[in-house]
Amino acid sequence: MKAAIIADKDCQTDLFQQLHKLVVMFLNNAGLVTEEIFIGRDDLAFCKGCFGCWIKKPGECVINDMMAQVNRNFINSDVVIYLSPVVFGQFSANIKNALDRWIPNMLPFFETRPDGSTMHPSRYDTHPQSIIIGYGDGLSEDDVQLFIDITKKHRTNTEVLIYQGADQDITETLGKIELRMVGGYL
Amino acid sequence: MRNIVLINASPKINEPSASAFLVNLVGSYIEEANTNKNFINVRQSTTRHKTQDDFAAISQADAVIIVFPLYVFCLPGLLMRYLEDYHKFYMEHGMASSHPKVYAIVNCGFPEPGINLEAVRVIKSFSHHVKAHFRFGILIGGGGMLLGVKDAPFMKKTFGKLNDAFATIAQDIENDDLKSIEDISIAMNFPRRLYLIMGNRGWPALARKNGLKKRDLYKRPYR
Repeated sequence: MKAAIIADKDCQTDLFQQLHKLVVMFLNNAGLVTEEIFIGRDDLAFCKGCFGCWIKKPGECVINDMMAQVNRNFINSDVVIYLSPVVFGQFSANIKNALDRWIPNMLPFFETRPDGSTMHPSRYDTHPQSIIIGYGDGLSEDDVQLFIDITKKHRTNTEVLIYQGADQDITETLGKIELRMVGGYL
Repeated sequence: MRNIVLINASPKINEPSASAFLVNLVGSYIEEANTNKNFINVRQSTTRHKTQDDFAAISQADAVIIVFPLYVFCLPGLLMRYLEDYHKFYMEHGMASSHPKVYAIVNCGFPEPGINLEAVRVIKSFSHHVKAHFRFGILIGGGGMLLGVKDAPFMKKTFGKLNDAFATIAQDIENDDLKSIEDISIAMNFPRRLYLIMGNRGWPALARKNGLKKRDLYKRPYR
């Protein structure tokens, strides 16, 4: 079983180091082979909204940089854990950039989910269990709730956790998540 | 003299964008007299290394209108970088004008305008972090069809709502008070089911222009 950690290279605070250590230890103890990807300011171009990943090179971003490797790792992992600073209640720019350029893993078509909402289907039958951990010192309640809502209101099969230094909470919550590929709606 | 900054945060390069269209439309509602309107294109500001000048303009604004497309349920990375960098600028220089008013105009390809709500909340949080007054957002669903059918008769009702919403922003900028105003949601005046069917039919047609067949759209290059 394989795992990938996708983290912000430019926000390696003490809190991040502590979280990173916990997550690596957790994945090792769970017996997963872990690959780590650190994304910095100059590592990825911004998505340019060209839809080339859907209609020119379906499944691949047309921009030639490290994102091809990130997407290949993503789709071949059983578990992917994003470690993102919480910035204005959202992912940091580095992590958001990686998420914007993850859309080659979806199909362009619309589908209606059971709750009536609209989404794009997954390109692959299964995709990794995705876990997003937002971290930050002194986060406001509003920013924490917004960080959770951005994903939980719109995505299925994706877990969101917040880390502000409580090691036991994170370890316990991670321990309850089934670490395997999932199918169904994104 | 009132300083108004209008920000187009579409990441598209040399392609028509709904955000560019919307930023010009809302700009046309801003009073010309005694007003200095400054249009900023985030992509150009970044690539042409104009960010420090543009940040100075934002810091002196009485009102800032941020127009952008929804990317994966929140702000595009490009805009997020810009706001992070502006926040650093703000921490170093402060805001020249006191507490500008901030507005968000977000459009998404999904037909439901409510999907944009969290993106509006991010702009609200950003405003809080730079001690600006977030006023309200305009949430637009079905933005994917906005440019293609803007002159069609059935869009008259939608444009009526857009025009009213933009006039509300213009009026609010003029007002001295900070009376609470609710976000405004605008869906295309078009049946959702038909919108999805048309959207789904459009992709194979676009792929064919690139020499691909419909089945190529389903390729799985990484497995």
